[in-house]
Amino acid sequence: MKRILSPVGVLALLVTTGCGPRLVPVLQNGQMIPTNTDAAIAQAEVDTRAEQTRLAEAVANTTTDALASCAPAICDAIARGELAIGMSEADVLAATRTSQDAWSVRGSGGASVLTPAHSARAPRDGVGSIAFVSLQNGRVSGYTYREPNGLRMVASSADASPQGRARAQADALLTEGDALAAAGQLDLALDRYDRADVIRPNDSATTLRIASTLDKQLRPIEAILRYQLFIHQLELEKIEARGEAAARMAEAIARARERVVILDRQ
Amino acid sequence: MKRTARALRTLTLCAVVFLAAAGCARQVTRIAPEQAIDLSGRWNDVDSRLVADAIIQQSFASDWAANHMRAEGGALPVVLVGTVRNRSLEHIPVNTFVSDLERAYVNSGQVRVVVAGAERDEVRDERLDQQQNASAGSRAQLAMEQGASYILQGEIQSIEDREGRRRVVFYQVDVSLVDLQSNSRVWVGQHKIKKYVADPRVRI
Repeated sequence: MKRILSPVGVLALLVTTGCGPRLVPVLQNGQMIPTNTDAAIAQAEVDTRAEQTRLAEAVANTTTDALASCAPAICDAIARGELAIGMSEADVLAATRTSQDAWSVRGSGGASVLTPAHSARAPRDGVGSIAFVSLQNGRVSGYTYREPNGLRMVASSADASPQGRARAQADALLTEGDALAAAGQLDLALDRYDRADVIRPNDSATTLRIASTLDKQLRPIEAILRYQLFIHQLELEKIEARGEAAARMAEAIARARERVVILDRQ
Repeated sequence: MKRTARALRTLTLCAVVFLAAAGCARQVTRIAPEQAIDLSGRWNDVDSRLVADAIIQQSFASDWAANHMRAEGGALPVVLVGTVRNRSLEHIPVNTFVSDLERAYVNSGQVRVVVAGAERDEVRDERLDQQQNASAGSRAQLAMEQGASYILQGEIQSIEDREGRRRVVFYQVDVSLVDLQSNSRVWVGQHKIKKYVADPRVRI
């Protein structure tokens, strides 16, 4: 006890306390900074070149195989870099300029689905970012794009045309606008209807939605103009419908007369 | 005798003053950039180098670039270098380690880097000027810029704990790559530096 409380011991304790925490230096002043960054860069260069070569060869092989055996319409789609109904899995890879690494395949039997292997970076074709591709018996039966308004399904060649795409986008905007209108967000709903009107102009259903939204927003003058436009569009549609009906009727009459003549001769 | 002693003393004093003045002359020595020399304890070249090395290693260790290549059929990711904000109380020139990172990306061939900000404006001005003044065969085409897939952003923050003549300074550097289409972060790099600085008890 006496030894512990000796003046030297107390002094040593005080000095130690005054020095603060024990430091564990990781780099001393004057020391050289250890670095192997240049080696890491060189290694990354080697790895990248090898991976790039492997992927480029895979894409080139797939594209060559696909172009060697594709039908003219499919070959055109591959050249444009667009998916098309009836493509094989190899054609899909060729059209999207990707390899097997970009996709994961799920399914069994005759049906399978290609989905992006890396969710952060989905493969794209000339139209947009692809969410998934459905195949039946090894041939594409439909494919879906991820678009600002949600998913857009292409199940026929009509859906794949620019008109089909515009129709699908306009429908998605109208649905979104209806949901916003139901939630009382009339400004946002009107914005969606206006955008749908730009994509698919002269559509009476869109005009009526715009008119009624303006009406609810207490903007009578603009609403009247839109209602008048809606009536005008309906009249045009009526004329068109009558014209089509008359044409169809005339065609039916001509066919009936032809049959009468044939039957008379028999 | 007395006069001689005084003259000798004056001469000695002059010699001492001369020698002292000669000793105070500025001394410059070239040293290796890799040598760590800390004088004030503030952010310096050593910190910048340590951050650059750590961030480069972390970026190459992550597989974000390989994932991009696999998804895009071998196409390299294109990175636009955005802003690294200095949120510390010190003046920190961030471009030193950002340039190191750019150099690593370009030299490794793993990433394509496109210029941004004032650099891009300068290039665009030159391209526009070429449309007026360069010959048809040599002028750069308009609207042929490479769009970036990712933007590099980051920030430096510092915390200082001071007590008397001692202080502990902590720096945290966060750098991330953000997908320009989805806003998702595909890679985040981080490096922390902690320094203990003790000032001398007596300063001359």
